Amino acid sequence: MNVLIGILEEGLIYAILALGVLITYRVLDFPDLTVDSSFPLGAAVSAVLTVKGMNPLLTLVIAALAGGVAGLVTGIIHVKFKVRDLLSGIIVMTGLYSINLRIAGRANLPFFNMDTLFDNPFVDGFPAALRPWSKVIVVFVIVLAVKVLLDLFMNTKAGFLLRAVGDNRAVVTTLACDDGLVKIEGLVIANMLVALSGAVMAQKNRVFEISMGTGSMVFGLAAVIIGVNIFKNRQKVNSSTAAIVGSIIYKACVAIALSLGLMPQDLKLITAVLFLIILVLSGMKKKKVKFDA
Amino acid sequence: MKKFAKVLALVLALVMVFSFGCASAKTLTIGIAQFAEHPSLDNCREGFIAGLAEAGYVEGDNVKFVVHNAQADMGLTQQIAYQLAQECDMVCAIATPIAQAAVNACMDNGKPVIYTAVSDPVAAMLANAEGKSKLNVTGSCDLLPVEAQLKLIRSFMPDAKTIGILYTTSETNSESQLKLYESLAPQYGFEIVATGISTGADIPLAADSLIPKVHCLTNLTDNTVVSYLALIIDKANAAGKPVFGSEIEQVKNGCIASEGVEYIALGRQTGKMAAEVLAGAFAGDIPFYASEGGDMCYNPAVAAQLGIAIPEADLARGIDVTK
Repeated sequence: MNVLIGILEEGLIYAILALGVLITYRVLDFPDLTVDSSFPLGAAVSAVLTVKGMNPLLTLVIAALAGGVAGLVTGIIHVKFKVRDLLSGIIVMTGLYSINLRIAGRANLPFFNMDTLFDNPFVDGFPAALRPWSKVIVVFVIVLAVKVLLDLFMNTKAGFLLRAVGDNRAVVTTLACDDGLVKIEGLVIANMLVALSGAVMAQKNRVFEISMGTGSMVFGLAAVIIGVNIFKNRQKVNSSTAAIVGSIIYKACVAIALSLGLMPQDLKLITAVLFLIILVLSGMKKKKVKFDA
Repeated sequence: MKKFAKVLALVLALVMVFSFGCASAKTLTIGIAQFAEHPSLDNCREGFIAGLAEAGYVEGDNVKFVVHNAQADMGLTQQIAYQLAQECDMVCAIATPIAQAAVNACMDNGKPVIYTAVSDPVAAMLANAEGKSKLNVTGSCDLLPVEAQLKLIRSFMPDAKTIGILYTTSETNSESQLKLYESLAPQYGFEIVATGISTGADIPLAADSLIPKVHCLTNLTDNTVVSYLALIIDKANAAGKPVFGSEIEQVKNGCIASEGVEYIALGRQTGKMAAEVLAGAFAGDIPFYASEGGDMCYNPAVAAQLGIAIPEADLARGIDVTK
């Protein structure tokens, strides 16, 4: 049961990041490497403000805004200065490393003795039976809020335009809209989500660490791909749910590999194999199982 | 939803099956969470196990160890810390990032965390100014005996004025060690010239620009820099300048000498503290242990190659690593 709680905590926090990657990778078709730095950016902002005594919930909002600025910069570099998508992300990712260090003031900023998002008078008031699940509940509420807002947004006119940019740019241009602006908007939203995810992670871990973003882009991609593959034929399961589930499954794979007590050097390989098994299983079932959703 | 339910059920079933093996009531289970694979950290782990054994907690007899290594992956660090916090009766965390993760993971269930190889437990918020903690946490610190090292460099190189230090900007430990060097160096007539790097790939260029400006180099316990030590020693020695190490393994690998931390001894001491906690002490009441300076060691082959005469007094008190 405890392992399950751990998987859900980690999986749900990274699910917010996966939702960000979903927007750039699946919707905009933009491989956005800004993610590896906007994740720790959110963590740095949240950690510094928490240490200064700000309400942890409020730090999440500011962290998300900071992430939005990072996405804005990547977008402007790509759209206005016509730098290739991958390179714009790399440029911002590289620069943000120094900015993150400046924001936090040091490479590792702990805040063990402060109230956090997960440890405050409100959460302490949960009934005893719910206490072990308190972190899961808090993250779940945040993920749910983010998912609902994102789904609502995707169904507005602006959301349709965003989807159109990835699928068929000509449509956007015929509608007399600037597809560059729409792209920038997508990057801003995506990086807001990624930074929010980083901020929540910092709140859970009670520490900001400069290297915490390494590999987060790859993680986000894997989560999105796993999720989307599992729900390939489900019209009713939308892609945001798929990304959230994908994130949880990925974390579960790591937990299994860890529980097996594997040699550390083999861990990534085992995770990759489990990842592959899920992809293959979900691909095979497509032929046999009827729709039931 | 049926397909999703099946996949999820399969995954969760696997999790449950595999998590059973770890919970045993009779023997104590001690989780060892190591941040990275690295000779110093490996020595800490070996020393910890030996220290516990000396205090009567013998592997396979009355304790069982679950060892995980995060390979310097921050995501994995959190997951390992969490899992060990659930499965084990005590967590031993080796190096700062995983020590912080373990303390955080054990905060709710109050299980003891014993850390080691943390250079600055106060800055890492693992201990308060008195060295204790309100949480069930204690451990040992591997802060370099900087003063002793400066004395050593002075005795090897009576005319040297500048000492070069390469450090990684993302390692908090390096930052605090560097500050210590900068504050103590003037007392021994040295000036510190430091160059920060962000990844190992920056080292060749950083070393090329640093070496001409200094009379010798000295190492911190910086993980990234130490992994590229062979390259740094090559470049420095080619310019006729010695590199002083921060522990014995580095001297074996070509540093001229070091007044470093002896990690096996540090781990052993940590193991003894863990035994006190297993016997019923509250870890937070035990102040962290700081290594008082290890054994001086030197590499005569390197000294001869660089034309540096090792002072008689140092020859007498130190360990010759080539023997």
